[in-house]
Amino acid sequence: MKATVEVAGYTTLPLQLPPTSICPTPATHYLYIRPHEPRIPDPDSTRSLFIVNAPIDTTEVHLRHLFSTQLSAGRVERVTFEDIPVKKSGIASATEPNLSHRPNKKRKRVTADDLQGTLDSINPPQPGTARSKNPAPTPSSMESSLKAAAKAARKGTTLLWGEGIPADRVPALGVQRYLSHERRRYPERGALLRTVNDFMTVFEQVSEARKKEEAKKAGEPDEDGFVTVTHGPKLNSVAREEEMRELVERRKKKEEGLEDFYRFQSREKRKERQQMLLRRFDEDKRKLQDIRMRRGKIRPE
Amino acid sequence: MSTHTVKRRKLSPSPTNDTSATQSKSSNGASTTNSKGATEKPAHVSARKPDNSSKTNSAHRAKDERTAELAMASGFYKSGFFKLQVDELTSGLRINYDKRISKVQDTLHKVKNAMEGLPEISPKSIVDAEKELRTASGILVPWPEPRPSKDAKYTISYAKPTNINVVGSFGLRTGAKSAESRPVDLAVTMPSSIFQEKDYVNYRFFHKRAYYIACLAAGIQETVNSLGLEVKFGFQDGDSLRPIILLESRSSKEETPPSQPQIRILTAIDPNLFPITRTLPMKNNIRQGSSTDTTEAGEPTPYYNASLRSEATVSLYHKYLYSASQKCDSFRDACILGRTWLQQRGFSTSFQKGGFGGFEWSALISLLFEGGGPSGQPILLRSYSSYQIFKATMQFLAGRDLSTPLFLFASDVPVPDGGPVLYDGRRGLNLLYKMTPWSYSILRQEATTTLKMLNESREDNFDRVFIVKVDEPALRFDRLLTFPKSFNGDTLRSLHDQKSVYQVLSRALGDRVKLISLTSRSADSWPVKSKALNKKASHDLSVGLMLNGENVGRTVDHGPAAEEKEEAASFRAFWGRESRTASIQGWQYCGKSCLPDEDSIVHQILAHILQRHFKIAEDDFFLHGDEYDDILYDEGDEVISYSNSPFQSINDAFGELEQSLRNMEEVPLSIRHVAPASPLLRYAALRVQGSDGDNEAADIVLQFESSSRWPDDFAAIQMTKAAFLVKVGDSLQDAGAASSCRVGVENESSKVLNSFYLDIFHISGFTFRLRIHHDREQTLLERQLKNKSISPREREEIAYALFSYKKAFIQTPRLTQALRSLCTRLPLLSPTIRLVKHWFASHLFSAQISEELIELMTTRAFTQPYPWECPSSIMTGFLRTLHFLSRWDWQQEPFIVDLSGDLNPEVTETIKTRFTAWRNIDPAMNTIALFVASDLDTEGVTWTQYEMPSKVVAGRMTALAKAAVSLLRKEHDELDVAELFHTSLAPYDFVIHLRSKLLGDGSASASKYKNLAEANVPGRASKLALVKSFVRDVQACYNQSILLFHGDERSDVIAGLWNPQTLKPRTWNLKTAFSTAPVSSSGSLEKQDSVIINQPAILNEIARLGEGLIEKIETSQ
Repeated sequence: MKATVEVAGYTTLPLQLPPTSICPTPATHYLYIRPHEPRIPDPDSTRSLFIVNAPIDTTEVHLRHLFSTQLSAGRVERVTFEDIPVKKSGIASATEPNLSHRPNKKRKRVTADDLQGTLDSINPPQPGTARSKNPAPTPSSMESSLKAAAKAARKGTTLLWGEGIPADRVPALGVQRYLSHERRRYPERGALLRTVNDFMTVFEQVSEARKKEEAKKAGEPDEDGFVTVTHGPKLNSVAREEEMRELVERRKKKEEGLEDFYRFQSREKRKERQQMLLRRFDEDKRKLQDIRMRRGKIRPE
Repeated sequence: MSTHTVKRRKLSPSPTNDTSATQSKSSNGASTTNSKGATEKPAHVSARKPDNSSKTNSAHRAKDERTAELAMASGFYKSGFFKLQVDELTSGLRINYDKRISKVQDTLHKVKNAMEGLPEISPKSIVDAEKELRTASGILVPWPEPRPSKDAKYTISYAKPTNINVVGSFGLRTGAKSAESRPVDLAVTMPSSIFQEKDYVNYRFFHKRAYYIACLAAGIQETVNSLGLEVKFGFQDGDSLRPIILLESRSSKEETPPSQPQIRILTAIDPNLFPITRTLPMKNNIRQGSSTDTTEAGEPTPYYNASLRSEATVSLYHKYLYSASQKCDSFRDACILGRTWLQQRGFSTSFQKGGFGGFEWSALISLLFEGGGPSGQPILLRSYSSYQIFKATMQFLAGRDLSTPLFLFASDVPVPDGGPVLYDGRRGLNLLYKMTPWSYSILRQEATTTLKMLNESREDNFDRVFIVKVDEPALRFDRLLTFPKSFNGDTLRSLHDQKSVYQVLSRALGDRVKLISLTSRSADSWPVKSKALNKKASHDLSVGLMLNGENVGRTVDHGPAAEEKEEAASFRAFWGRESRTASIQGWQYCGKSCLPDEDSIVHQILAHILQRHFKIAEDDFFLHGDEYDDILYDEGDEVISYSNSPFQSINDAFGELEQSLRNMEEVPLSIRHVAPASPLLRYAALRVQGSDGDNEAADIVLQFESSSRWPDDFAAIQMTKAAFLVKVGDSLQDAGAASSCRVGVENESSKVLNSFYLDIFHISGFTFRLRIHHDREQTLLERQLKNKSISPREREEIAYALFSYKKAFIQTPRLTQALRSLCTRLPLLSPTIRLVKHWFASHLFSAQISEELIELMTTRAFTQPYPWECPSSIMTGFLRTLHFLSRWDWQQEPFIVDLSGDLNPEVTETIKTRFTAWRNIDPAMNTIALFVASDLDTEGVTWTQYEMPSKVVAGRMTALAKAAVSLLRKEHDELDVAELFHTSLAPYDFVIHLRSKLLGDGSASASKYKNLAEANVPGRASKLALVKSFVRDVQACYNQSILLFHGDERSDVIAGLWNPQTLKPRTWNLKTAFSTAPVSSSGSLEKQDSVIINQPAILNEIARLGEGLIEKIETSQ
């Protein structure tokens, strides 16, 4: 049996999804695999595989199991998930928070790991959600894995997704998943307080450190001997905006009542109003034309 | 042409200065026909004037014309746009009479000649004449009831008609195109020689007339048949006293537009044949016994008299209307507007349909040119535009109560009580003689509403005045009552019967109703050789009730005090046994206490009264309208009104909680504001239970006094919030206000969204979900959004965070506040909203259409109810909301609702500008399909941005609403209401059936997972949450390829559609974010270039993800 082998440069690996009571007919899923070629190559990239079109419940365990046990092609060192930007931000997809604020970057460098750690401890990422189609570099004996995959595909070996993984190593799906999800929504009070306290302490430290750093930088001349002068707190821009707005308002108020002072003013105003009315009338005409185009003649229902 | 030149000269000198002058002049009403001419044909004028050769000059000209037109519009019309639409409408409805005349002229001539050539028939006794006619031509004389007795002493005869004329709208050219064909009226003036002086009494005139009509029919039969027409009898204006001849095109059933319009042959008599004094409204002309000479005794017979008089006034009115149409240029257009308006409201000339139609409208206008004002001065001026005539007539109808008679050209004619009177003294006719008190009250109500619409400045309302069909009974009335028992008989009798029904009903229902309307269908035409159709079938009576929302629920009516013997006796006679004495109040009628599972009060009263006065058993009449209440009762946890206890107790609990929050001492910041933000707290939740029930947590928003100690970092703000929430929870627990509290996590994947909330289990048994509103967040987010250095993706996230901040902390509390006050002011708003929510849920819209959106859409039916008045029943509120949805062209129009009464034209303008801007940025409507704004939220995207709903879903919503409305128009009051709430699963690609055990009555599943679920998680709410997060998960995984629909917790299906774009094979790239399988498109097996969506794999994944939730998955293939 010669099944499909390549799609757009990817080797395809058919996987059989386990049948369920609801869906008794087994379905075949296709993994697309190719050597990892990141734009900026790193030492690991030569032994990484890039996998896409993964089933939605893929976890590291699944992949390790697939490559080492099911394909017996080598061991997986590390699995990195990446997510494709979800266009619809209205849906909370459980992906790793990788949003970083530019102003905080410095701070992140200092204690980013602690912070991330603390945050993750209160808010464990949900098991295996919406993480489909993840390009996943799998540093392993890359070529042999790829070959094994291609071979398996060609031979039509049935690889049952997740077969043989002990149930307690992968997170449960179905009702269990949602129940535990609901449960985890409510962290224990003590733990939460602890996290908050930890976070706030770290946060204080970070902001303290940053302030110091900035102060230091402000006083230090650079190589050309210039001292960078920075203006005060960032709040200013907002405050100034408001001030400006107020100023404009005040000026407007001052000018109130003076619009009709000269004859030419009132004449101009009248003219303008007339023009505006005319314009609006023309607009109305266009609108009617539009309606006629859309709905045909105006007729009672 | 000369008029235009005049106009031109006026305008030509200096265009800039003169425009305003013209405007002021025309708005003064000083410019008359000249400017009228300019309005009608501005474009042609400039085109047709070749004498001004210079181009600049003609450009000026064109501008002047426009200015003049604008001046006209702004002076004489509601708005420029309104005027343009009116012009468009009238020009569209104007009938091309030249064409029509050329079509029917020939036929008319032939018919006329045939009638003129008929031989005379000498006087005969009734029996002989009838027999002769039957044997000669087989025609049965269409006698009015009661038919003449065989031994009648007078004789009947036929003589050549005095003249034959075309009358009515065809003759006057005032007709308007409409769905029904406009008949051509041919009036045959009967010679005075065949009548006697006393013929006005005891139907003698009508009997002779019937014979005359029969002779005419017999005489023209042959001619008419040769023309391909068919002779039939019908009633003029539904009046059985006056049968007429109808000439219809024979093949009318096959050919949808009949080649020939219907021709009606009516009769007329010389105006002086019977003196006007004999047919005054108070005269009695139907006398008992044979003594025709005993005068002035017995009941007055106004209808009979007027019917007779109207025979005499045919030519008079024709002449009168013709002269009016000659004197006033816009008379014809005003008639078109009036006819359209009446037709949309179901009024027509026949007395069964209100007795006010095109003829009455044009006659009324003509009369108002001569009088009708408070001191007899005319109401209309000849210089008025058609719209001005229309509006002034509306004003007259709405403002002048004609129940106190109005006499024109006459003074103090005694008139009977009850119906409206507009007595035209010159022609001796009460113009409104066919109107009943009930049809008149509806006409007045419609006129009042229309006037309000015309005076409203913020909306155009053109559609609602002329385009929308208003007369659908279920949309118009709150309750519909139908009697299968018919009120058969002739016009006079059924009029009498209807009057008695009306009186009994209005006495029985008292101030529970605002308006009662009776309608019956008019009799159809019948072939000349058979008897009139079975009248039973055609006289079914249906009654529409407009309820008074405030009084309808009252259970006890107090009768007169026992001392007032006479009144007490009549009260008892009216109500019968059920009226009982109460020691102090005297007589009262006690409705049974209003237990919700019993019939409504109105139903009980009707059952009792109809049985008592008309012997109609409870099973024999049908009251339509209570079903909607019943559905809400079944679906909405047995709660109907906002004042029912669950809503009240949850609001009380909220009040207590607010108090305890304000009394907290351990929390370092003082509280500025605690705002409710949940449908439960604004009387809008479909499901609400008492304190021991299973409610969802009610959202509330807490705002502290501002403090400079908050951090400026998003994550730190959330952490601070968490700390505050823990603190608030602790102190509430310590104070004993809450049995327990816990902090929950939401939006865990984002740093900028609100991430913590506090669930408070209040001691009253309700659960509240508290979030902290920190207004600095908005500033920070906005500043971040302005930051140019962030990536598009971050920007998107920040924008979303700002959007959800505004929604959760600003708009939801605002909406809640507004709806709370609206629901208490309009008692039916709350139940209607909840029923509409049920409609949306049963059509599986829960995931896509937010509750707030539904609330706003329903509120509109109450705050901007035009063309009706504010609904006073669930039925009208619900159906009008659907009606609105079915007509809402959301691609082109924004939705604007008035929540606080502050919606003024400026706000409307702002909203419209925003709408246009959105459509310009996003013409494909990818993020915004529905634009929904209110005076509290002019941005208009709060509830609908981010595909809530998407274009596809919005389209489906409109389609479903349209289907519901057309079903209603088809079935009328026989509509099975449950049908509206039944959704078809056929259009979906696959349907996921959920396990009913999980969703059904909670006890089983709750106990099953007792070890897993926290003890205090409310069962129902958590079940809904399970399904919701499942759907959200699946939708998030496959948002490119599938669209899921689901209902609320009572429905156990999730329906899905494949995105049709993903079903085609395509080349694969990294953006293809759905499960695919390779396919071969070029036929080679080795090199596969394209992929196709892997449906079985996706369904398998869904099945595995939803294991334990799903019963089965059905696909449509």
